[in-house]
Amino acid sequence: MKAFLALVRAEAVLLLRDRIALLLIFLFPLVFILIFGFLMGGRGGPQSARIGVALASGTDSGALEAVLEGAASLRVTHYALSSALEEAVAKRDVDFGLVWAGEKLVFLYDPSRVQENFAFQQLAQGIATDFNLRRQSVSPLLAAEKIDLGKKAAANSFSLLVPGILAFAVLSAGLFAVSGHLTAMKERKILDRLLVTPMRPVHLLAAIVVVRLAVVYVSTLITLFVSMTVFRVSFDVDWPRYTLFVAASTLGMMGFGTLIALVVRRSSSAGYLANILGMVMMFLSGIYFPIEMMPSVLRAVSRALPLTYMAEGMRYTTGVAEISGLRFWVVTAVFFGMAAVLLPVLARYVMVPERR
Amino acid sequence: MKGILWVARVQLVTALRERETLFWFVIFPVFILALLASVVGSIGKEGEMNFDLTLVNLAKPSSASVDFAAIVERAFEETGKPPAPGKQPLFTLHRPAPGEDSQAFLVREEKALRIGRRAVVVVLPEGFNEGILGRAGGAAAGPSGSTGGRVLVYYTKGSDASEIAASIVEQVLAGVDQRILAESGRFQTAASVPTETRWVGVGATEIAYVDFLLPGVILMGFFLSGLFGVPGSVLFARDRKILQRYWVTPLEVRQYLAGFSLGHLGLCVCQFFLLLVIGRYAFGAKVLFAELVPVLFLVLSAVTFLAFGFFIAAVVRTANAGMALANLLNMPMLFLSGLFFPVRGLPLVLKAIVYANPMSYLVEGLRTSLGVGAREFPLEVTFGVPLLWIAVCTVVASRRLQWDVGR
Repeated sequence: MKAFLALVRAEAVLLLRDRIALLLIFLFPLVFILIFGFLMGGRGGPQSARIGVALASGTDSGALEAVLEGAASLRVTHYALSSALEEAVAKRDVDFGLVWAGEKLVFLYDPSRVQENFAFQQLAQGIATDFNLRRQSVSPLLAAEKIDLGKKAAANSFSLLVPGILAFAVLSAGLFAVSGHLTAMKERKILDRLLVTPMRPVHLLAAIVVVRLAVVYVSTLITLFVSMTVFRVSFDVDWPRYTLFVAASTLGMMGFGTLIALVVRRSSSAGYLANILGMVMMFLSGIYFPIEMMPSVLRAVSRALPLTYMAEGMRYTTGVAEISGLRFWVVTAVFFGMAAVLLPVLARYVMVPERR
Repeated sequence: MKGILWVARVQLVTALRERETLFWFVIFPVFILALLASVVGSIGKEGEMNFDLTLVNLAKPSSASVDFAAIVERAFEETGKPPAPGKQPLFTLHRPAPGEDSQAFLVREEKALRIGRRAVVVVLPEGFNEGILGRAGGAAAGPSGSTGGRVLVYYTKGSDASEIAASIVEQVLAGVDQRILAESGRFQTAASVPTETRWVGVGATEIAYVDFLLPGVILMGFFLSGLFGVPGSVLFARDRKILQRYWVTPLEVRQYLAGFSLGHLGLCVCQFFLLLVIGRYAFGAKVLFAELVPVLFLVLSAVTFLAFGFFIAAVVRTANAGMALANLLNMPMLFLSGLFFPVRGLPLVLKAIVYANPMSYLVEGLRTSLGVGAREFPLEVTFGVPLLWIAVCTVVASRRLQWDVGR
């Protein structure tokens, strides 16, 4: 036990002295959170669309004015001339425009806003439908009543993104923690020297795991805290399950990192491979793009990636999405299982003196 | 000159032989192109989006001649059919099996929605038909006045897919509403005011998403080559004392530098043509690069990111530190440039990063010169700021970069 504690202390000091590792573990998720928090908060969309309107004088525009007044999601700016409105759309002073000269509703869009125009076109379609009904003094017979069944904490897409970024941070730290650290120790011949001491390899491995686990957990807490204070998103965190899941997924990913350590020799190669795997998983696991909107092939790939389940579990434990209790426990058990199977493999095949 | 060409050849061949290089410079940009084109590019396109929708009809057939709930059901059945062979239906419909208890099914489907297995659940409640008849008879004037004709659309706020699916459901219902009103003679379809879409600004035509995306992905490829490839190659070669072996030959540092840069630019040329061919033939991009200004922007981009790579190599001590710094700069520079997401509405600090980021100017310059982007900065600025970056990076690198650790 004394030897193990000494190893834990040594590993902790090593990690705290390793500015690069600390930078990646603590700063990386924070940078992501800050960028995406502000990008998503400031992204234009149907909630905050600015419409410019040019109504020709002498036209019956009462119905149109009433429709626009009733649309709470629109901020309306009036222009005297359609040419001025066109200029405003092109300059992005407004998101899209509407010209009414008494014959047809002309909607103006800026073609370079490729990613946003779909939302504006949907709003335009709603305006046209309401306008036509109102003009003929007809009330709609059908009324869609939207009811949100999501979790209270899931106020917007950003609150769903934060647990995804936490999951990615756990994945990166877990993948690289063992593979990178051990291969670096091997490369510098430190492992060879340690292995000739009475130290048991499993103690060294356990010390690395314990230190990294604690650091990753603290990193997720800091990221969560920053996102809550800077962006005022609230999470309904189930702390026991959160702690358990962070531990399970970090251990699982450390186990997964074993496979990397088995196939590469250099720490730089381990870093490259971990980086590549992380990047591919990040884009396919539903963190940035909803899985439902991917082509069927990518959906199948997504379901095979551990990060998909990590993001799902993190969303569940932070209270922004639901999964069944059974699914949560199965996923948690699988991650613990991965660690239980793969970490001994690491101790057996990676933590051995280098052949000369 | 021979030495320079030799180093250029070595640099190019080595890069093409390395699996990591191939991933970051070729596979990753193609992956991003494919992913964004298929996910973001499919939004709003019929036949390319598919959502799981549950439809539950709790309304009993009306004693009147028209079963409105059945009309709504038929409208959703239509959306459950693919618009063309090989295309995806808009909705994959989930409905209770014959004889199944609808309420129990609904409870189950609400749970499926909560856990993300359904995008939206549409319920036609009891009294739906009577409600519509009541409204048609003038019982209620507006949606909030009566529960009649109400369609319950359950969704999950915050989930992009669910929110898009719910808004499409609203459109489907608006269409059904107009059809019912028209058939009942209350609404004159012929008297409807037509709508027209007009594109103003850049080129005044609609821009395909892939045409918007491809120049950005090419720049991303150049950026990754510079950010990871340059410091990676230089610092690892230095740390492993490969460079030291060069210095015992008659080759000088400036010759090595020229050869390395030439080889890197050669790699960018290979990368550009590969992405162009894939973009054009696999994703249908039509954007044309064969004009002077876009070519100038491409060259400027490759040189800017090459200089930026040397800058990173100059400010760190080891190859691992270089890779860490590159990793840290990667996402902020990519995402805070307008390359993938619009960057308006950012706070001052992040706006300052956007304005300082050379990628912001290069991406705008390239897209506007290709007619697929709007101009925010004057042309001189889009050229000038990257040139300034090149100058700063060159000065820093020439003063700080150590070519030989062991000398």
